[in-house]
Amino acid sequence: MAARPVLRAAVRTARNQPLASTYSSNSRCIATKPRNFCTSTQFLRPGTTSPGSNNGSPRTTHFGFQDGLSESEKTDRVAGVFHSVADSYDRMNDLMSFGWHRIWKDHFVSSLNPGYSSSIPPAPQRVLDVAGGTGDIAFRMLHQSHVVNANPNIHITISDINPSMLAVGKQRSLSLPAAQQATLSFLEADATQLPSTILPNSLDLYTVAFGIRNFANIPAALAEAYRVLKPGGVFACLEFSKVRNPVFDAIYKRWSFSAIPLIGQLVAGDRDSYQYLVESIERFPSQDEFRGLIEDAGFVVGGDGFEDLTNGIAAIHKGMKPLQ
Amino acid sequence: MAPSRALTRLTLLRRAPSSALRRYHSYDHPAPAGIFNASEQAILSAAYKHVPEHGFTQHALSLGARDAGYLDISTNVVPEGPFSLIRYHLVTQREALAPRREAIFSKDANAATTVPARVERLTWERLLGNRDVNHRWQEALAIMAQPSHVPASFHELALLADEIHFLAGDTSVDPSWYTKRGGLSVIYASSELFMTNDRSPGFGDTRAFLQRRLAEGGSLSNAVGGVTQWLGFTASAGVNVLRSKGVRI
Repeated sequence: MAARPVLRAAVRTARNQPLASTYSSNSRCIATKPRNFCTSTQFLRPGTTSPGSNNGSPRTTHFGFQDGLSESEKTDRVAGVFHSVADSYDRMNDLMSFGWHRIWKDHFVSSLNPGYSSSIPPAPQRVLDVAGGTGDIAFRMLHQSHVVNANPNIHITISDINPSMLAVGKQRSLSLPAAQQATLSFLEADATQLPSTILPNSLDLYTVAFGIRNFANIPAALAEAYRVLKPGGVFACLEFSKVRNPVFDAIYKRWSFSAIPLIGQLVAGDRDSYQYLVESIERFPSQDEFRGLIEDAGFVVGGDGFEDLTNGIAAIHKGMKPLQ
Repeated sequence: MAPSRALTRLTLLRRAPSSALRRYHSYDHPAPAGIFNASEQAILSAAYKHVPEHGFTQHALSLGARDAGYLDISTNVVPEGPFSLIRYHLVTQREALAPRREAIFSKDANAATTVPARVERLTWERLLGNRDVNHRWQEALAIMAQPSHVPASFHELALLADEIHFLAGDTSVDPSWYTKRGGLSVIYASSELFMTNDRSPGFGDTRAFLQRRLAEGGSLSNAVGGVTQWLGFTASAGVNVLRSKGVRI
């Protein structure tokens, strides 16, 4: 009999602290329910909770679990995050994913197979690697094209909104063979509004790896991608996604919300930036929703339209701009 | 919550017609759309023409994309690369059986009156569909045997066995539905493998091989059926004998 109040208290505690996986990606329910992981709620803007509710005022977006920021504000804050993580970016990626992000990136590039051409001599290709500051994807594409496919006739533009990340990429590119350096260029640009130096219908391939979830306006970025790609050109995106297996999802959420900010604090000395990273992963749409966005931008997707990597932790989305 | 849910529902609605593949034959409803969309269809059908020369390879896909007016990079819209090309072959050859059925059976009506005879005829017709790519088919089998492609390959084999039995007029609704399709799958796969090494004119050896295997399958199913019937009869007779002796069963 005496055990009953204790039991009741325990049940109440359990009810109040469900698993992190039971939260949807929706912000409002996350903001109102207690959570068993920490968050970067420095301040929440009152009154602007729903993105569609404020007509006339500037479009709002979200930053991690915080809602109601204007797009320029998000751009600034993302710039701040990547400015502070730029130097430790690669080391942190290895620690957070146990080095597995290299396998994802290798698979992403080899499945895209840039530089492959059936004609002799090989046809030239123009590639834009958006949010590719540190050059992870671009250098792999250079290798695939120059070495694997023996096609040096490729030009890759690394674009990033953040000069700190681009500086890391420029530094790293100095160790590439000279022939590969010659086909590489850097561009500081906002992906939602590409500069006029990138002509419409001029690109074969547009890649964005682990970047699109930081964009202030994803549909605008997709529309820009559609505009600059040639008909038949391919939009390819490697991004964190949703794990469908609930057991694995619970373990994954526990890792990402508990361990990653901690590692960020210990290794990079910057907890808030990594807190933002995991929150932005949680907010990013699921595979099916994101495929819907790609199709809405006018792209054609083949098959399922995406490929899950490691049980859906990351996913590759591809879309092709149809011929007129 | 509302916008994201609405978006999900909208996405599901939009995908439903193309992805909902029916798992049965229907006389009353139009056939669902194929698994390839228009762009994939354009690239794959153009690439398929290059298969006899270049095999089921990325090279053939790339040539096909160029023929269809696309870029080299556009082959990325075909989700599984060369395997999609193999799948295109399997799907188009399977779907080509139904329109050819009338022509086949009106030509030699006297030969194929029973269901097993029609199954043999249709299986042979399907094997002949491999004629143009036969010299490349071992490569294709190697790709199909890669672990990530095995489920899709078996699925296509099952669909083919079902299609052949449906077109042959098989109406069984008992457990033999499964054994017939399973048996035909095994026989078809082994005949296909035999055919890749067949150098006889008109693949006569393959047809003889197919007929021997089907005959063995028929006699095996007869034997199994006979034994089952005998066991059932003996068991029920035994029960009845015991009951007549006063045992309460």
